[in-house]
Amino acid sequence: MEVKIKVLLAKLGLDIHNRGILIVAKNLRDAGMEVIYIGNSTPEQIIGAALQEDVDIVGVSSLGGAHLSLGKKVLSLAADKHIRDGKIYLMGGAIPEDDIEVLKKDGYDAIFTSGATKEEIINIIEGLVKKF
Amino acid sequence: MAEDKKTIISILNKKSGFKQDSLFDKKTLKLIETDFKKWKASSVGEADRKNWETVPRTTLGSDIPRKLIYTPLDIADFDYRKSLGNSGEEPFTRGVHPNMYRGKKFTMRQINGFGGPEDTNKRLKFMMDNGATGLSVIFDLPTTQMYDSDDPISAGQVGTSGVAIDSAVDMEILFESIPLDEVTVSIVTHFPSNTAILFPMFLAAAEKRGIPFDKLGGTVQNDTTMEEVVRSGPEYLPPKDVFRIQCDNNEYIRQNIPRWNFTTFNGYNMRDFGTSSVTEIAVAFANAMETLENLISRGHDVDFIAKRLAFFWSISNDFFDEAARIRAARRLWSHIMKHKFGAKDARSQWMRCHVQTSGLTLTRQEPLNNIVRASYQALASVLGGAQSLHVSSYDEAYAVPTEEAALLSLRTQQIIQAETAVTEVVDPLGGSYYVEALTDEIEKRIIDELTEIETQGGYVAAIERGWLHRKIATYFQTEQAKMESGEIPIVGLNCYKSNREEAKIDVFSYPEDAEERQIEKIEKLKETRDNKAVDKVLKDLEDACKTGKNIIPYSLECARAGVTEGEVFRVLKSSFGLWSPPEVF
Repeated sequence: MEVKIKVLLAKLGLDIHNRGILIVAKNLRDAGMEVIYIGNSTPEQIIGAALQEDVDIVGVSSLGGAHLSLGKKVLSLAADKHIRDGKIYLMGGAIPEDDIEVLKKDGYDAIFTSGATKEEIINIIEGLVKKF
Repeated sequence: MAEDKKTIISILNKKSGFKQDSLFDKKTLKLIETDFKKWKASSVGEADRKNWETVPRTTLGSDIPRKLIYTPLDIADFDYRKSLGNSGEEPFTRGVHPNMYRGKKFTMRQINGFGGPEDTNKRLKFMMDNGATGLSVIFDLPTTQMYDSDDPISAGQVGTSGVAIDSAVDMEILFESIPLDEVTVSIVTHFPSNTAILFPMFLAAAEKRGIPFDKLGGTVQNDTTMEEVVRSGPEYLPPKDVFRIQCDNNEYIRQNIPRWNFTTFNGYNMRDFGTSSVTEIAVAFANAMETLENLISRGHDVDFIAKRLAFFWSISNDFFDEAARIRAARRLWSHIMKHKFGAKDARSQWMRCHVQTSGLTLTRQEPLNNIVRASYQALASVLGGAQSLHVSSYDEAYAVPTEEAALLSLRTQQIIQAETAVTEVVDPLGGSYYVEALTDEIEKRIIDELTEIETQGGYVAAIERGWLHRKIATYFQTEQAKMESGEIPIVGLNCYKSNREEAKIDVFSYPEDAEERQIEKIEKLKETRDNKAVDKVLKDLEDACKTGKNIIPYSLECARAGVTEGEVFRVLKSSFGLWSPPEVF
């Protein structure tokens, strides 16, 4: 029996824009993944849910400019809870190029920006899952 | 009410002025028809005959098919006086004023907002120094979602996508040295709830400066669609209560700030979230109609309320569709106000609008292309007769605009106004066979969608049931697939892709210490204000919420007493309870 990839998706902080994350949620579910979408969440709530739901992947969406401040917090909390290395961390949103580099260095496994297609996202995720 | 609730279709069908006086002579039309058929059979190729009507694939477009060519035959019954009228006369298709832009240029109203109020104040002055004729301010995420800058939920997000405002003190700083009695301000309070909190803070600040309310001019968004349907948030109030707050705002503002537009019916945010050019207008009109009904039931005269009604549209890429739909909206609204609401004052029939060029259509790839996109969109809206414009900036996909990008948006407007001569002539597209046929078709489709909403039980019911959420989700899920497949061509993204190294653009950096500054200010405020008075005004507000009074005067008392936004929101939550919107993926 094939085990479904389990993905937690969240809006990072108070960001009001959710069109993108709703599209991603549907696409991943249509691709056979189990998707848990928790809406607007603090880094604490995201890591809490990641632990509780025992997901494989944590994906956060940020178009409100808090990708560095809160994005880093998600990873450091993950490290505190010892789930930094065992899971894949993704971010999507309106993120300047320089910040993408920073976030990747911090430990995000992939960053998706405007224009990323369903195919690209799924391929990258499946690639990352294979590596794990 | 004993009266039969008439459907929108029956009301509009019954309207009649005079009989149809066709512009075209029937004999001549016959001649044209004969020639046209010959031409179609002999000059037009078979492939074109087969594909006579095509549907343009554009982002956020309508599904309206377009013919290869339009002729008088397509508007055979066109009655100039009934379908168009002259500008400034019923049904206002050609424009709300007789002299349109010769008399009143479109207002160049670019949005600004980042950091703390002192930061945005500087940018507002910069824009005014460079020719902006109207101001517009947008708030950061905590302020928009109604949490204070010192709330743990706000951490890391203060001032990053708008300006942080926690109290009336911040409003004073935001508008420091700005002549509020001379320049109009759009205060982009998206939701009824945050309008009810932030606008009174603005009023309290104006009071402190000795500016009487009747000297203030501007706009608030104040739209239920924005709060309940097209935003993501951790906490929502129930739709009926949000709508009540919207109407409380409308009533209070109309009665006390005579030059203020109390809602710009949405519109933009819903459209850009993902819906068609027709649905955008239908939903905004449904909201506006239900709002009018509510205010009339409160005892107000329709002409009194309608005087300050305004709309806010997104402008996307389908050039003629965008111009035609503004005309269609003007005509339809005129009919609705006259025949459904019995408005006596001609001004009540005006569909005045602010427009914003679509953010969704702007790509991250090759961002300078966005300057071109936004320019065409802006031009379409001017040809459509919009009252004021915001041109989205080329760095839209990256961050809030840099000073340079914001300035270029302003220049785009100035170039249209000063260099192209399109504003010399009223409704330049009027009389085009294509544009008139398209205007008619769009109007029909808006009416169809209004009927759909009517069937749901009205605008608020359509939201409560999740019908509107699902309609929008279906649209954008389908559209996204088309954008990715290339069915909707997007230059530089899914077609004409370049392998060249992209030049990096400057991206705006938010002031990093805005959070610190705001937290300090809140501390100081809470130390120096009369906290007993604060407790009292919050209690009075809660009573007003629960007893159906108009809550705005009570919110104004809170603003005067130095209450923070988060404190007021807590009262709204405890009074109305929370609501969960339907899941739509």
